Amino acid sequence: MLIETFYRQIGSEIVTNKSFKFSMAVYKLHYFDNPRRGHAELSRLILSQAGVPFEDVRFPHSEWPNMKPTTPFGQVPILEVNGQMLAQSNAIARYLARQHGLAGKDDWEQAQTDMYIENINDLLNAVAVPFVEKDPAKQKEMYGKFMTETIAFHVVAVEKQLKKNNTGYLVGDRLTAADLAYYALFSDFIEVKFGGAFLKDAPLLKSLLVRVRTSPNVKKWIDFRNSKYYPDGNE
Amino acid sequence: MVHYKLIYFNLRGRGELARLILHHQEVAFEDFRFEREEWTKYKTGTPFGQVPVLEVDGKPLAQSNAIARYLARQHGLAGQNEWEQSQADMYVDCIYDLISGTRPIIHESDKEKQKEILQKFLKETVNPHLEKLEQQLIKNGTGFLVGKSITWADLAYYSFFSPMTERFGDSVMDNSPHLKKLVEHVANIPQIKKYVETRPKTTL
Repeated sequence: MLIETFYRQIGSEIVTNKSFKFSMAVYKLHYFDNPRRGHAELSRLILSQAGVPFEDVRFPHSEWPNMKPTTPFGQVPILEVNGQMLAQSNAIARYLARQHGLAGKDDWEQAQTDMYIENINDLLNAVAVPFVEKDPAKQKEMYGKFMTETIAFHVVAVEKQLKKNNTGYLVGDRLTAADLAYYALFSDFIEVKFGGAFLKDAPLLKSLLVRVRTSPNVKKWIDFRNSKYYPDGNE
Repeated sequence: MVHYKLIYFNLRGRGELARLILHHQEVAFEDFRFEREEWTKYKTGTPFGQVPVLEVDGKPLAQSNAIARYLARQHGLAGQNEWEQSQADMYVDCIYDLISGTRPIIHESDKEKQKEILQKFLKETVNPHLEKLEQQLIKNGTGFLVGKSITWADLAYYSFFSPMTERFGDSVMDNSPHLKKLVEHVANIPQIKKYVETRPKTTL
């Protein structure tokens, strides 16, 4: 549809060119300015992949005491859609994925997509424990255990599913929010922090992560956000 | 007719929401339960080494919320439109976080320490959430969390808070009259009541 193409064009313009003032954006995503990815990144990836414009609001922690009471549950990220608020990072991601064709082509594929997003949620919750550990020796031990036990196990399991699905993608035959979620954790966090050795026996997962990273709209977003938010290098 | 097999421990835990959804909508399913000691027998057959798993005509689906959401959607308990569906998702995600918050309590063997962690959890996590939740219930104004009728979100809150009061007393919802009313409402739904009376008695 011509109009859709026009909007998608505009959408990627908005995401990459901050001086482009265009109040067509229906979405306002609110999150802290730090962490720079955290629980908001999956939604940003979904919107970017779909070529949908959004206002990417990142506020300093000093503003949080004022903002907190205005949120449904005292937490961010929050998605504002035409004045209404949606909380919970995964509910937001799921809603956006569904609205913009990234949640699988039918109910069963949507359920599979949900399943993978929730896998990532569990892994994020697991890594949050060492992440906040103050004792460096203890933290190192916990991270070590996370990688050799939790991640190693999961990588074997997901490699098996990828083999079974046999399309190169986690769900169905194309990119969905599930693939974006795995990219966000495995590439954007784990590979950056621990290196890629954990992928040595997982060629399908490895090539999926590359496929996501090099997918045109995702690449555009990553290049933009890295130059804008990580001038000191990716972290 | 599609055949559902829900595979989980003989516990309520993370399997109960799916069971409640199916019982509420009076959908037949195989409620397959095994004891903790048998876990190694079933673990390798699961997609990610975890349960619950829902088999839909033999095809496996993992993750308790993905399962519950799929069943809610298939059987009319997910919300009336996409926005309502996402609101219901949001509430169930909140419950997921609360369930995760109970794990350190459940796994603490020292009774004194357990009491301490529980009190902290109630004070710092549960109570602030309940305050916000009351506001949301009042704002929605129908007695239900989302829209005008029951959704799986209401069942999720019942599923979490009913055992909470069983274990820690009525005072858990002292400052949450709207939630209390909702939980009681769900408890008295005939299909739910019947299931609760006849289901296996389990500690969790």
